Amino acid sequence: MESTLVRIRNLAKTFGDGDTRVEAVRGVDLDLARGEIVLVMGPSGSGKTTLLSMLGGLLCVTEGEIWVSGTNIAALGERELPPFRARTFGFIFQDFNLIAALSARENVEVALNIAGQSGRAARERAVELLEGLGTGDRLDFPIEKLSGGEKQRVAIARAIANQPVLILADEPTANLDSHHGAETMRLLRELTKEEGTTVVIVSHDDRLREVADRVLWLEDGQFRTLLALARDPVCGMLIDPADAPASIEHDGSTLYFCSRGCREQYEQDVVAARSKVSGQTAQYATDVADARPSS
Amino acid sequence: MTTPENASHFPGTPGMSVPLARRQLLFRKGRTLAGVAGIAAALLLVLALKAIFAGINDRLTAYIDESGADVIVAQQGVDTMHMTQSALPEGVVAALVAVPGVAEAKPILYVPAMIEGGEERGIVYLIGDDSGGAPLPLSAGRRPGAGEIVLERSLAERLGARIGSRVGAFGQSFRVSGEVEGLASILNSVAFVPRQELARVLGARGVVSYVLVRVRPDVDAAELTQVIETSVPGVTASTREAFARSERRVVGDMTTDIVRAMILVGFVIGVAVAGLVAYSATLSQLRDYAVLRALGLGARRALGLAAAQVGATVAASFLLALALAWMLATILPGLTPTLVLAIRTSDVAQALGVGAAVALTAAMFPVLRVARIDPASVFRR
Repeated sequence: MESTLVRIRNLAKTFGDGDTRVEAVRGVDLDLARGEIVLVMGPSGSGKTTLLSMLGGLLCVTEGEIWVSGTNIAALGERELPPFRARTFGFIFQDFNLIAALSARENVEVALNIAGQSGRAARERAVELLEGLGTGDRLDFPIEKLSGGEKQRVAIARAIANQPVLILADEPTANLDSHHGAETMRLLRELTKEEGTTVVIVSHDDRLREVADRVLWLEDGQFRTLLALARDPVCGMLIDPADAPASIEHDGSTLYFCSRGCREQYEQDVVAARSKVSGQTAQYATDVADARPSS
Repeated sequence: MTTPENASHFPGTPGMSVPLARRQLLFRKGRTLAGVAGIAAALLLVLALKAIFAGINDRLTAYIDESGADVIVAQQGVDTMHMTQSALPEGVVAALVAVPGVAEAKPILYVPAMIEGGEERGIVYLIGDDSGGAPLPLSAGRRPGAGEIVLERSLAERLGARIGSRVGAFGQSFRVSGEVEGLASILNSVAFVPRQELARVLGARGVVSYVLVRVRPDVDAAELTQVIETSVPGVTASTREAFARSERRVVGDMTTDIVRAMILVGFVIGVAVAGLVAYSATLSQLRDYAVLRALGLGARRALGLAAAQVGATVAASFLLALALAWMLATILPGLTPTLVLAIRTSDVAQALGVGAAVALTAAMFPVLRVARIDPASVFRR
């Protein structure tokens, strides 16, 4: 079996034209191996969701190819894409996107129905999945009666119902507390180990780095090398030094800031520290910078 | 690697075991019920209008239907009573009796009249009949003698007239001698006076309006009409059925445009209500449709899901409208005896057709909206 599941080449997406033209994704190349968890991070508006939508066959590409399990989905027509999506992809959404009119079991079963499995077999499979994820006692509960964690487990059960080769998760921990967020990460990790499923996660959540095999940084529609990025010592944001709007020289090295505001804040902190502890300014300033939240 | 062409060979998706359309309809019961009620009201308007006019038609010819005549003879060129005058010389009766195949010829005088009782008035077909309306049965009292009148019960009630009361017509006073039932509609009523009495009042002695002919048992009424027209000059003979048909057509011609306009209004209201209901219901479910499309539901099946919900809503509305129309048809005559609703299979079928047209037209609104759904919208917040 070929180890590469997804091969993306020269992928681009442009919205609008003329003055309103926006290049959301620009010439992206990416390979994803089977059983790999890839975390795509980046600032808001960097093209993460556009990339995820194209990868899931939900959005037409402007240019390029997306090969998934040997099929270039960028070339599939409107009639071929839905059945391909049903059998190939599993989606996990930030807002869960469960159908409120259906019970927990039916939300999973409907995904099986769409993929061609119906009746008793679909019901039993849905029950098996939900029980496996610890929500067996909530099978016939209406969605609105479930907690955030339970909803996410139903969403995961729906995503894996058709044994997809690729799961696409958009901010899967955004609406969850730390406990349920950690549980979701554990579930995603288990999925890749047990089923060999590839998972692409788009998120701002740094905690997801723990389960990711690879972390990619998307900015201005292009992947950047994380090693080449600098962290703003005030707000903790990762930034490209070449595009940093502000920087200062400090102790022989250069500090980069995401904005002038952050640089001014940094300078104020340093001055304040100097006035308190003479002679230990540099060390103190470093401590202040380190004490800032990393994300 | 396979080509895109290979990838298109996926088996078709079989039926869903999750009753999605039903679940979505029942999830917001209030909205669904309001929609069903709105569409039902529009369909009821169509059904009730048709039933009312059918009821009027039935009552319109009730006298002719129950008169016992097989053939009705009128002045040449006349084959109706409504908005019509017919005058024949009295001698035509003897000529008709002499026609082979005629068993009996009964002359009547007819004139539209305003009957007054106290402060109330009512329009009637005033029939001058020597038999006092026989063979129509009386529901109360007796046949009219000189200076007497038989009224239809609903008119008598409206006029506050009882047996023995006096009512007025053409400036004359008549004593109510009896009542008949089932001859009144919201358009008019029927009353009987002795023929000679009416001739005196009208100053029309020696003249009759129509002659009600009974044929011998072995004679065909349609054939007899030909014989009568050949044998008796200056008359038109019609079978009872043909005469009633003409009568209904005359009234129909006068009211068809109104009926059509009202049915069109009902249809437009139905489409507007159904369209709005379906559209707003679909709008509230757009995210669900986007999720289903993202999960792999084809555009056609998504459209089918939207159309199924509209279809079910309209079907429920049709049944509700039918039940309400039946209730109206049962209850209304008790409250207003002149308002009779006759629900006919053909009218129900027509209303069903209107309902189907409403459903199809209304389904266009959500279907077009669902067709434009961008499945990528599931990622938007």
